[in-house]
Amino acid sequence: MVTKLEQPKGGFNFDNYQRNVALEKKGITFPKMTKTGTTIVGLIYKDGICLGADTRATAGPIVADKNCEKIHYLAPNMYCCGAGTAADTEFTTALISSQLELHRLTTGREARVATALIMLKQMLFRYQGHIGAALVLGGYDVTGPNLYTIHPHGSTDKLPYVTMGSGSLAAMAVFESKWRKDLERQEAIDLVREAIESGIFNDLGSGSNVDVTVIEKGKIDVYRNYAKPNERGVKEQSYKFKRGTTAILKESIRDIVAITEGIEEMDIS
Amino acid sequence: MNPVTLYNNDIFTNVPVEAPVERNFYPYADNGGTSLGIAGADFCLMASDTRKSSGYSIHSRYSPKAFKLTEKAVLATNGFAADGLALTKRLGQKLEWYKHAHDKEMSTPALAQMLANTLYYKRFFPYYTFNLLGGIDEQGRGVLYSFDPVGSMGTEVCRAGGSSAALIQPFLDNQVALKNQQGVQQTPLSLEAAIRITKDSFTSATERDIYTGDYLEIFIIRQEGTTIERIDLKKD
Amino acid sequence: MFLTRSEYDRGVNTFSPEGRLFQVEYAIEAIKLGSTAVGIQTSHGVVLAVEKRVTSPLLVSSSIEKIMEIDSHLGCAMSGLTADSRTMIDHARIEAQNHRFTYNEKIKVESVTQAVCDLALRFGESAHGEESIMSRPFGVALLIAGIDEKGPQLYHADPSGTFMQYDAKAIGSGSEGAQTELNEEYHKSLSLQEAETLSLKVLKQVMEEKLNNTNVQLAAVTEEHGFRIYSEEELQVVIDRL
Repeated sequence: MVTKLEQPKGGFNFDNYQRNVALEKKGITFPKMTKTGTTIVGLIYKDGICLGADTRATAGPIVADKNCEKIHYLAPNMYCCGAGTAADTEFTTALISSQLELHRLTTGREARVATALIMLKQMLFRYQGHIGAALVLGGYDVTGPNLYTIHPHGSTDKLPYVTMGSGSLAAMAVFESKWRKDLERQEAIDLVREAIESGIFNDLGSGSNVDVTVIEKGKIDVYRNYAKPNERGVKEQSYKFKRGTTAILKESIRDIVAITEGIEEMDIS
Repeated sequence: MNPVTLYNNDIFTNVPVEAPVERNFYPYADNGGTSLGIAGADFCLMASDTRKSSGYSIHSRYSPKAFKLTEKAVLATNGFAADGLALTKRLGQKLEWYKHAHDKEMSTPALAQMLANTLYYKRFFPYYTFNLLGGIDEQGRGVLYSFDPVGSMGTEVCRAGGSSAALIQPFLDNQVALKNQQGVQQTPLSLEAAIRITKDSFTSATERDIYTGDYLEIFIIRQEGTTIERIDLKKD
Repeated sequence: MFLTRSEYDRGVNTFSPEGRLFQVEYAIEAIKLGSTAVGIQTSHGVVLAVEKRVTSPLLVSSSIEKIMEIDSHLGCAMSGLTADSRTMIDHARIEAQNHRFTYNEKIKVESVTQAVCDLALRFGESAHGEESIMSRPFGVALLIAGIDEKGPQLYHADPSGTFMQYDAKAIGSGSEGAQTELNEEYHKSLSLQEAETLSLKVLKQVMEEKLNNTNVQLAAVTEEHGFRIYSEEELQVVIDRL
């Protein structure tokens, strides 16, 4: 027996209107989130993992940061690309990074990528998707190279090449046409760069530069701004104002130090 | 989607009840993009980027939204591209009709008034467009008009419209209308300076607005005729 | 006059075998029964003058209106079945206002004349079978005077819907004599004042009554004042110049 009324899709919903008006009257300002419409990718090549990310952070239609870092440090053998709500990706990776370090210290072993994966997915699942972090996790441990994606609700995938963020389709199009098994290091870097650039140019949520991180056995190379395909040109003229252009509406000069006449005896009582 | 059939729980168990299904139609889209107009003493400058997008997708890198309507007027449309195109087409027809009926080209002020009327005529199903009309009047002076979607018209010296309007307008007010500048001499703006300010406006807007980029088209309208300059903008 | 009277002069939509529309031709004849009206174009403006037939000493002459304003820059004099002109002038006024509303500029003299003439042939049955507006052609001719970007202009519009531009034109019962006089007297360098005098001089010659400031009406369209009908005092000044 069907008893549930289907929720209509689309249109306006005024359910919380009264509540929000009341809250706003009390002086509450609603938080604004920086959603990083992003392109992040990762792939497995012959000797390890190559991660890539663009560097644009957006707040609605506005570019909030033209050169932000989206490949986060997790452990000496692991890095993690983040897409979604900037704060969530930053804090989630930082939190897990701390826990991994403690884990390394207590076990006396290098943490495994699968461990980080479990910690991340359990945390995200606990928050039922309210932590808006979409991650690409890559690392090299005793089992060899590991590459995963983690969705905000906690589901994960283990694949040889992955993309995430708003530019994921653009980037995946490149991977699907060019990725193959056992790529050489430089080939892997070039492919990651091409995938990120595809996101940069075809997805409005992604832009600016390409960051690349290469993880091999016992060796990590971080290439910050590996490619800069969007340098700003020179401006047509200078906009330096002549001194005095800004109007002074009021002027008042005060002595901050109180000057007293004569010498006062030091109080030594 | 089928309407959901509800059954009353207790007594009348076999009486089906139809639940209403809400359907919605959204006739408009925002295709982004930015336009700008500057009216000088004997010229008018109209500029638009050519990116057409919706959401995070670029539909076209070259889809112009500034159109030369007459030898002395250029219209820049922003907002919903389909309405902008339909409006431009209609104005083109009306201009042709006017030419046949009155045996002359429509003046830019007359075109502005006609555009306001055309927009207001659709008061209750508007063209979702934010228009800038620039050109020269019958005395050869630069004129610039701005419109809201339902036909409210204003005369301007400098105006930015579209997704980067809020980014560019304060810059224009400061650099063209020389607002908030004390002790600066009020020399009439040269065409060269207007072009420099326009280019810097667009390269800067491209830096911070995801909906502005790809190419810039600058129309320069003068008594001698209208020229167009095309410039590359960043494509990310 | 029309010796070949036949059934063809009945229907307003039927050509005669000779290719004539008799009702339209009769309408043009009707104008020749009307009072005389004169229009003269100069480089300073256009003058309109009409004869008013004061048929009784008890008639209030000021109630005869044969010159009317269409817009601030447009005026019109008429001859024939003047009641018909109401429809035409109403249309002309609407068209002029419509143009102002749509384009925020004054309508051209030619455009308003064309608009009036578009009305002239809307008699009889229409193509789609619905009821037509008018059963017969207009019985009135108009002299439309105005100023636009092309300068002062004078147009003549007749019941056939034809219009033509004139330097000087006379219509109505005395038109033949008046036109001959105009043809002789008109020259390009005529001043507005000379045109005022000439128009009344021409009227005086063709009028049966003695011309005075109550049995003629004078108006002018100039760059400075637009369309203006002369008061009896102003009219007297012109009459005194005769």
